[in-house]
Amino acid sequence: MHPNRLLSILTLSAAAIIGLAFTIPFHARAQQSTVPQSVPTSSEQVVHHNVPASTDGGTVIMLCDGKTSIEVKGLKAGEPMSHAQAIAVTHELMDKWRRENPGEKWEMAQENQPESAASAAANAPVSAAHSAKSPPPTRKIQQGDTYASFTDRDYKIWQTETDKFVAEGKTIFHSSKLLGSTIGVSCDMCHPDAANTHPETYPKYQVQLQRVALLRDMIDWCIENPVKGKTLSPDDEKLRALEAYILAQRKGVPLDYGKH
Amino acid sequence: MARSKLILWGVVTLAIFAFSSRALAQANQPLAQPKSTNQVGFPTDLYHWVIPPDNPLTPAKVSLGKELFFDSRLSADDKESCSTCHDPQKGFTDQLPTSMGIHAQFGQRNAPSVLNAMFNTLQFWDGRAPTLEAQIQGPITNPIEMGMASMDAEVAKLRAIPEYAADFQKAFGGQITFHDIERAIASYERTQVAFDSPFDRFLAGDQKAISDQAKRGWALYNGQGRCMSCHGVNPTQPLFTDFKFHNIGVSAHKSDFVPLARKALALLSQKGGLQEIDRLAIQTDMSGLGRFLVTKQPHDIGGFRTMGLRNLLVTEPYFHDGSQATLWDVIDHYNKGGVQNPYLDGGIVPLGLSESQEDDLVAFLATLTSPEYTKQAQKEYQEQFKRSRTDRPQRDEAAAMGLSGRNGPGFSGPFGDIGPGEAAMRENPADLGGRPVDSLK
Amino acid sequence: MAARHKSVETKFMEDRSHVLESLKRLDRRSFLKVAGAAAGAVLAKGLMPPHSFQLVEVANAAVTKSFETQGESGNRPFRFAYLSDSHLYERTINQRFIRGAVKAVEDINALDPQPDFVLFGGDLAQLGRRAELEMGRQILAELKAPVKMMVGEHDWFLDLGESWQDLFGPPNYSFDWKGVHFVTLMSVHEKDFWTARHMTPEERMNTVAGLDNPIQSRFEVGTAEREWLKKDLAKVSPSTPLVIFSHSPLYKYYRNWNFWTEDADQVQAILKPYRHVTVIHGHTHQMLFNQIGNISFYGMLSTAWPWPYAPTGLPALTVQMNRADPFDQLDGLGDGNLQVRADGLVDKVYNLWDRNPISVKADYLTSHGKIDRPPAPQFASY
Repeated sequence: MHPNRLLSILTLSAAAIIGLAFTIPFHARAQQSTVPQSVPTSSEQVVHHNVPASTDGGTVIMLCDGKTSIEVKGLKAGEPMSHAQAIAVTHELMDKWRRENPGEKWEMAQENQPESAASAAANAPVSAAHSAKSPPPTRKIQQGDTYASFTDRDYKIWQTETDKFVAEGKTIFHSSKLLGSTIGVSCDMCHPDAANTHPETYPKYQVQLQRVALLRDMIDWCIENPVKGKTLSPDDEKLRALEAYILAQRKGVPLDYGKH
Repeated sequence: MARSKLILWGVVTLAIFAFSSRALAQANQPLAQPKSTNQVGFPTDLYHWVIPPDNPLTPAKVSLGKELFFDSRLSADDKESCSTCHDPQKGFTDQLPTSMGIHAQFGQRNAPSVLNAMFNTLQFWDGRAPTLEAQIQGPITNPIEMGMASMDAEVAKLRAIPEYAADFQKAFGGQITFHDIERAIASYERTQVAFDSPFDRFLAGDQKAISDQAKRGWALYNGQGRCMSCHGVNPTQPLFTDFKFHNIGVSAHKSDFVPLARKALALLSQKGGLQEIDRLAIQTDMSGLGRFLVTKQPHDIGGFRTMGLRNLLVTEPYFHDGSQATLWDVIDHYNKGGVQNPYLDGGIVPLGLSESQEDDLVAFLATLTSPEYTKQAQKEYQEQFKRSRTDRPQRDEAAAMGLSGRNGPGFSGPFGDIGPGEAAMRENPADLGGRPVDSLK
Repeated sequence: MAARHKSVETKFMEDRSHVLESLKRLDRRSFLKVAGAAAGAVLAKGLMPPHSFQLVEVANAAVTKSFETQGESGNRPFRFAYLSDSHLYERTINQRFIRGAVKAVEDINALDPQPDFVLFGGDLAQLGRRAELEMGRQILAELKAPVKMMVGEHDWFLDLGESWQDLFGPPNYSFDWKGVHFVTLMSVHEKDFWTARHMTPEERMNTVAGLDNPIQSRFEVGTAEREWLKKDLAKVSPSTPLVIFSHSPLYKYYRNWNFWTEDADQVQAILKPYRHVTVIHGHTHQMLFNQIGNISFYGMLSTAWPWPYAPTGLPALTVQMNRADPFDQLDGLGDGNLQVRADGLVDKVYNLWDRNPISVKADYLTSHGKIDRPPAPQFASY
């Protein structure tokens, strides 16, 4: 193990673990009230270690296995170690761990440590419709305070907005009025549940257009021809919503461009 | 040009009698020479797919084919050659409503152009011949076209002409056979490719190659005009056709389809084959049945092949019976939704094109002219334009705009119309019953 | 030159406008007769209306042999035709669907010999309006052969069948013809989903009219009508061929679109004792056939628009029709005729417009696909 990595482990065990100890229970409770299946979240996975008290007023440093600790004599709480001192401490800690765990490799020990959150998540019943709401519930998740740091609430916001857009598309899809049909025809009359719209096959050669078309090109063609309405510009919200609904109905179907 | 058509039609016989060396003169014209494939817009891929492996192009075959194409000795009275009806000076047509053959007899069909005919999936207006080769026996043996008694008679006649023996020997390494006559003429026809038009240059990226009006026409061609779905075009297949058969109602007002179809069926069940179909198509009123003569399927009644649109200003008049003189008439026909009949193609509906939109479409069609026909086409365009300002026999404003029942002047919406009714223009039918979707979940 | 064009067209137009002008003075029924005869010029000359010439003989040739098979009972074979699912809007709104219905009437009138009768397969109207139903009745009145009416959900749920029954009588009935017992069912009953939601009749109609609208309940024949069916069949011997007309398919194909009859199992059980049973149904707007035990099922084509095949549940015996091209407003549509063989089995001709007709023989179904397989589509559903 590289010394630098150990150093960071030490920092985590000494400061971060203790610092989080109070907030975790509240956070976990809040999670459980909204997620009945109790899918483990990243916050819950931070383990709280009980670091023994110092016997002589120095500082106890614990390895992140939660068991192995040594006392740095003469180091007061909050006092920084010198670089050399820190190196020496890490070596001492690891030597102690090796003595106590003969024949084991450090990496394996770390993985065996707590109950695997990932396997627990895999067994949890997560409905397909909501699968996008939660991040992959694994311990090994990268976190930050600002960027790429999203909570379950964020996922819900995203999903709600997406569903609204799709629902808007569904409404238009089913409404000859919103489609601007002059003859009372709407998309669902030939495509119930957007069946036979095959969005996964685009781009494809479309014989009515005699060229390669995108899904939106074909939507527009249908609006102009069988529906007898006016074509929508490519950035029209209605066209975008229709496209959203059609794509959403084919969730899970593999892309297969050019298929006939 | 259009105005002089009647006169031309009437006196063309005399012209042929008067100039016996006409065919030879035709053959020497620049327009009759094999064309280069080095043209903007030339469909190289397609070209290689459609040359039959059993009849590759060779200079000897092309040269022989050209001789035969312009040789009136292929006909029974030594007066009609292929070029009589497929004159290079007229875009390889005769610019007549229907063609005139032996003894000044007129058939029922308009002569299609040889230009780009090599790309057709089937030949003739009704697709009764599968290839250029197979097509050739039709006119040669038809009694009112070139009038030869049989294919054997044609072979015997050519074997008596000394210069052909050597040419056939050189091209095919043997005696004259009808099969080789077909292969030689078809080879020459495969050198008649016409692209290189302003529109080809436009598609290749030259924005200035066509006018703004033509560009508007191109948009209509793809959109409101619904032209593209049948007269399909793209760089791989730039022929402006789907090579399929549609009943657009052209023969509906001249033919009573039901009795005709029964009559044709009775005849074809006694004697089938290409020759009988050819006879019915060229010499009888059953001609208007079109594709039905070949397939005997009711939905093919009155169906004719979608024609390519290149150089169409020099191949007028239009449709399988040459019944329309100008491109405005043609567009008027489509604009009102064709002529109603029980077998009308379900894709033919009123288009609602305004006068200026029709002008735009014609301006676009005029850009499909290959360089060798530019001058002729310009002249024809001017004449058609002038005529279209005063003479519009096919125009039916109300039907086109869906303001009345189709083809029913002054009458609002009879059954059988598939365009929107009068009220659809005032009231949105959707107002009658919007579907509750989310509100009721 | 101009004169030549004008003479043809002008003559045609003059003939036509003469006819059409005179129409204004006629009653609506006569009007329809005239308009249905599409080539006005011929009509103006006082000739017979040129009913569309339908070469069903070509497709029928395939089934003629079995058609002529003599049954033990010595029954005479016969033919009846159908048109179905016309979904008519009022004339001022949409004439495309009217054209489809009229075209089917022309097709059937052109059959020679004429069918013994014509089945209308339900969904005459689109929004269940009286005017739609009345216009439909006028169109069907043009049929030369007698018409047997069946109701569909689009006809029913605006006024719960009031107008339809007023115009066409009771929705379920039976009759005997040439040794075959025919039963017409009203198979589109739904459980009351509207009262609790305080829906107006229009809202109820529009909900049912949306195939993929999940609010409505599933179709069913219902307890009362099943009892009626049992009673009706009590007097029919098990060796008598049965032909059942039902708007919904009397089996479970795809629940979400009501390609489904909730009590199909109970109905099938009632039909089980009979040797030959054929169910002819509407609603699905596609070539569709199935065989369950002793029962053969045929779906009818629509004259308004085709439905796609459902994502699941398609009977293995069904050979799909080609995907329709939306450029052609008639593609995927059509009508057809059914040939009741002397042994009581039924062959069917799907007369697809703008395509070659396809015949499906009863032997294909009863052999569970071992013989007489119909031609496969070039493009099956996605």
